[in-house]
Amino acid sequence: MPRYVATRLGQSALTVFLTISAVFVLIRLAPGDPAYSYAGPLASGEELDRVRTQMGLDQPLVVQYVRFLGDIVTGDIGTSYSFRQPAVDVVLARMPNTVTLAVAAIVLAALISVPLGVWMARRADTGRELGVNMLTIAGQSMPDFWIGIVLLTVFAVTFPVLPAAGFDSWAGIVLPAVTIAVLQVALLSRMVRREMVGALSAPYFTVARARGVSESGLIWGYALRNSAVPVVTALGTRFASMLNGVVVVEVVFGWPGIGSLVVRALETRDYPLIQATVLVTAVLAVAVQLLVDLCYPLLDPRVRLGRKVSA
Amino acid sequence: MTSSIPAPSTPSTPPTGGPSRRRVLGAGSAVGAGALLAACGGPTGGDDSGSGSDGGGGTEGVLTLGLNRSLVSLDNKLNQFDAAVTVQRAVRQGLTAIGDDLKPVMVLAESFEQTTDTQWTVKLREGIVYSDGTPVTVEDVATALECYAPVEGSFVAQQFPEFPTLEKIDETSFTLTTQTPVVVLDSLMSNILITPAAANKPEELQDGVGTGPYTVTNAESGTGSYTLEINENYWGEEKPTIQTIEVRFMPEESSRVVALRSGDVDVIDSITADSVAQLESVDDVEIESVDGTRFNQLFYNFRKPAGHPMANPEVRRALTYAVDSASIVTGIMGDSVTSAKGVVPSTLEGAVDVGEFTYDPEMCKSELARLGVSDLALTIIWENGEFAGDASTMEALVEMFKAVGVTATLQQFEPGGDIGTWRRGEAGDWDVLGNGYGNQTGLALTTIQGMYGGTPEKEATRDSYHGFVYPEIAAKISEAGATSDEQARNGLLADVQQMVWDTYPLLWAFVPKALLARRARVGGIELKPINSYDITTVTLD
Repeated sequence: MPRYVATRLGQSALTVFLTISAVFVLIRLAPGDPAYSYAGPLASGEELDRVRTQMGLDQPLVVQYVRFLGDIVTGDIGTSYSFRQPAVDVVLARMPNTVTLAVAAIVLAALISVPLGVWMARRADTGRELGVNMLTIAGQSMPDFWIGIVLLTVFAVTFPVLPAAGFDSWAGIVLPAVTIAVLQVALLSRMVRREMVGALSAPYFTVARARGVSESGLIWGYALRNSAVPVVTALGTRFASMLNGVVVVEVVFGWPGIGSLVVRALETRDYPLIQATVLVTAVLAVAVQLLVDLCYPLLDPRVRLGRKVSA
Repeated sequence: MTSSIPAPSTPSTPPTGGPSRRRVLGAGSAVGAGALLAACGGPTGGDDSGSGSDGGGGTEGVLTLGLNRSLVSLDNKLNQFDAAVTVQRAVRQGLTAIGDDLKPVMVLAESFEQTTDTQWTVKLREGIVYSDGTPVTVEDVATALECYAPVEGSFVAQQFPEFPTLEKIDETSFTLTTQTPVVVLDSLMSNILITPAAANKPEELQDGVGTGPYTVTNAESGTGSYTLEINENYWGEEKPTIQTIEVRFMPEESSRVVALRSGDVDVIDSITADSVAQLESVDDVEIESVDGTRFNQLFYNFRKPAGHPMANPEVRRALTYAVDSASIVTGIMGDSVTSAKGVVPSTLEGAVDVGEFTYDPEMCKSELARLGVSDLALTIIWENGEFAGDASTMEALVEMFKAVGVTATLQQFEPGGDIGTWRRGEAGDWDVLGNGYGNQTGLALTTIQGMYGGTPEKEATRDSYHGFVYPEIAAKISEAGATSDEQARNGLLADVQQMVWDTYPLLWAFVPKALLARRARVGGIELKPINSYDITTVTLD
């Protein structure tokens, strides 16, 4: 087990390194010159050259990359061109808001999708289940910005019971979290339903019922636990993707997260800010994935992390 | 042969001496979950927005502003956009400010007079103090000038032909001297915000004191959220009436509109005609509108080789007849803009109307035929979001050109793309550029210098405005810029504007209105053409 954790940590570090390296190269290969964003469209050629020198962009790509790696080791990703502050500080200032929204959305999604999926599995192929199935398909089909605007119109304008934008109070998290959760519930409930249907038809389930285990014990103690691994994996994956910032939702609700920050950084070619965002979100994402993987033995005692399966 | 059946094994006792694997994993998961929760953030705001009057001390409630661009700071050494001026000036002030008539008014300066062609004499007002009670000194002004000049990419610094040198006369008086005449220095100095010298740096200040009617009590530059409270030491006679101002960054226009309608914010800026149409039907929301100073234009590429059709001013003039500007103004822009009647916005001090854009497709066709131009193909470029309705406008142009036998190809660039290299003529070929040119000084001279003051020396480094180089025009602009007498200067500028118009640099141009929406409970907003307003006059009913 400790060896497994160490190996995974090493793999995670390599993943993060490759990710930020790839982003480093790709943003510099993309069209656009951050000097223009920095100096303005009317800046003279001399000013642009000066700015490029100041940014280190006049150096060969390899030199820039080596310098970048050295800066990471010293913990200095660079100063944001737009904010004129350490890029990591800018990202970390907004990261808690994104984490908060992601946690709220995933908890809400899990609380709804798991019971819903169980309900659908127990009534599989019935008329009622078909109706709910259609609702989940609709939920998957609706664009999240449309859902957000509809919720805004109803709950912030027509019946102004919730804030329309920003994160001035905890009430402000409701609408954006619900908006994100709608799609997640649609996807996750169908996954739960699929896994549960398989579990409910398994031989051990029949045996357990024959031994007199209660219905709720059968569903929640046996079937769901055996279906949990892929569901937890999906929850973890979706949560990790939310940590990159749910851009559309953040823009619609004026949520002060990193999604909109990344969009702005890309528009202005703010290389340090882009790299800082990728670094922070990559670290968080791999940490979440590791956490999810470490949960598997909790869910399924048969799982032995790090051990090879013998033939 | 018998086989022995082993007796059922007794449950083995768990190994002693350490926690079970499940317990370790469970604890680890709990720690991880705890760390995740610890990484969460709480609400960023304090007071509820739009709260009612507290009725105390002649001051009331909270005013919440929803801005379309994020205020990186409440300093303007690097960034300055329209709505920022309103908020930045609430905290820090300059020697002068641009008044309602776009002429400079005295703020921290009691007087600001040009004593020679290259020298101005300034006297500070007596008794002006910062919010911490310390007095404003001549040294503060000197340091401010020194801090603005070296800021790379500064929007403010670009407006100064040269930064003046300050020489102190006494504790409240000094001279500002330039090597060449800068006849509008009083207007330009409105953008130099004064801060205590000891705290000033050649970078955007994230905190600190100012002489404005408000102080900053909370600043989150990352999210663009700020809280301002009344400055109890404010020196001005007209005191603000609103106790607290909350500034929020809301980039999405639909979100700003919804927030205004729901009462989450009180004032939103930079809205389009579509939003205006929506909000006009809403009770409790009022629209403020004034002709602006931004010049949105379809500018020709002046870097065409001699002999190219687009290098011929008559061809450029002929093409202007193909543009049905009235349809664009009404159908696309919802009458939120005014078609230009010259080469700069008519709202600017020193601007004159030198011509009009006329729609006459038959004239366009006959002129092109007379000039022997056939099968003309144009490339029109612009950056997405340059102005409201930009894509629709360009698409309309394609159809209008098609009607006169001209083929137009559109190329849209996304923000952050390489349109900069195209504009400088360092990338692909283009014929017409959709562009906007802002103005924060209220002076036609500033826009004229920036757009039409190209010289062969500037063009050698691709620094002219899209290749517009006419030495005789540039010389006249320089002469106007060095003429102290306002009447004489305006006469020269009028000549310049006519000369520029006669080169037909514009396919079409228009001036967008400055638009702002406010809740009915907000009063006293006197929106200026430079799209900002004095926060001191704002009231909450």
